[in-house]
Amino acid sequence: MAPRIKNDEQRRTLRVTLGVLASVGLMISAYLTWTHFVGVAPVCISGSGGCETVQSSSYATIFGVPVAVLGLVGYAVLLLSVTLRGEVGVYLGFLLALIGTLFSAYLTYLEVFVIGALCQWCLASAAVMVAALVCTTSGVWRLTKEH
Amino acid sequence: MSKTRPLGSPRKLLALIVAVAIVVAALLAVLSQLGGAGGGTAASGDIGKLYSGIPQNGTTLGESGAPVTIYLYEDFQCPYCGQFSREMFPDLVDDYVRDGKAKLVSEPLTFLGPDSVEASRAALAAGKQNRYWPYYSLLFENQGEENSGYVTSDFLEGLAKQTPGLDVRRWNVERKGDSLESELSEAQARARSAGVNSTPTLIFSGPGGQETIDELRDYDQISSAMDRVDGA
Repeated sequence: MAPRIKNDEQRRTLRVTLGVLASVGLMISAYLTWTHFVGVAPVCISGSGGCETVQSSSYATIFGVPVAVLGLVGYAVLLLSVTLRGEVGVYLGFLLALIGTLFSAYLTYLEVFVIGALCQWCLASAAVMVAALVCTTSGVWRLTKEH
Repeated sequence: MSKTRPLGSPRKLLALIVAVAIVVAALLAVLSQLGGAGGGTAASGDIGKLYSGIPQNGTTLGESGAPVTIYLYEDFQCPYCGQFSREMFPDLVDDYVRDGKAKLVSEPLTFLGPDSVEASRAALAAGKQNRYWPYYSLLFENQGEENSGYVTSDFLEGLAKQTPGLDVRRWNVERKGDSLESELSEAQARARSAGVNSTPTLIFSGPGGQETIDELRDYDQISSAMDRVDGA
């Protein structure tokens, strides 16, 4: 029974970690969505105005939909995946984290090479998404090992 | 442990998930390129990059302590000013302003007509939020034929929405305020006292003296003037 208990504990730790990451991502997206609709500049820690430049660039929306709203939906589904039991939740979380990481990489490329400004909130979200990918990859790896 | 029905071969399922993720992320990236605001996607991005990291204070661009000051006398409707702004201005910023050798001061002139006044007021209102220069670039990037009536309120507001970091509501209030009138009159007065009678006119002032370019033909004139006035 010992290995099974250990497995269950590790699985629970992964789920809690992923839940925390998704919640942090959800809060970041919610804040950026709020600033978008209220029309205020996001607070930038360094005060460089980078967040304002990125958030007000034409890349901040896709056909009128703020990118922050996409993040909000993505993190919400990621959080939902944590609540789903069994393989469905694990694979759904992995899919979301992979899409999120690839899209975050594209957005970071835009910030550095096209817009020429960095938004700390966006970078924080990208870091959360990468961490979520590590978590979900670990979950998927454990599943494939069990098969 | 509660375990649901297995979803099938893990390897095939993983390959499918990775493929779906790549397709969805690529689709989002393509939509992002196509669906930027108002079709000004590339211009807004380029403008953000041009001014990135350079201090802006009202109509001044660059370090306040830069040894050389370049006064740009321009009319937003003047075609040669537009050509200068599009073709030489980015190099001027990259070569001399970015590294603190020179700062630029814009003196918007309005001799071509009432539309020049409206365009200048819009740019000066953006300057109240230290966003004069991106708006300046957008005005010249989107310049129409002089006095053709292209400087409408919708046109100016469209540019405001493309200006990185501009609070459009505040801009709209300030654009209609009285304080800009005196700023414009002062710019016209400075042009008169400096003997400016054509646009664009560039006046370079530095430790090595003063140089005026009133017939700008190529970028070498700018480099030569900088060499003479920077006192190095």
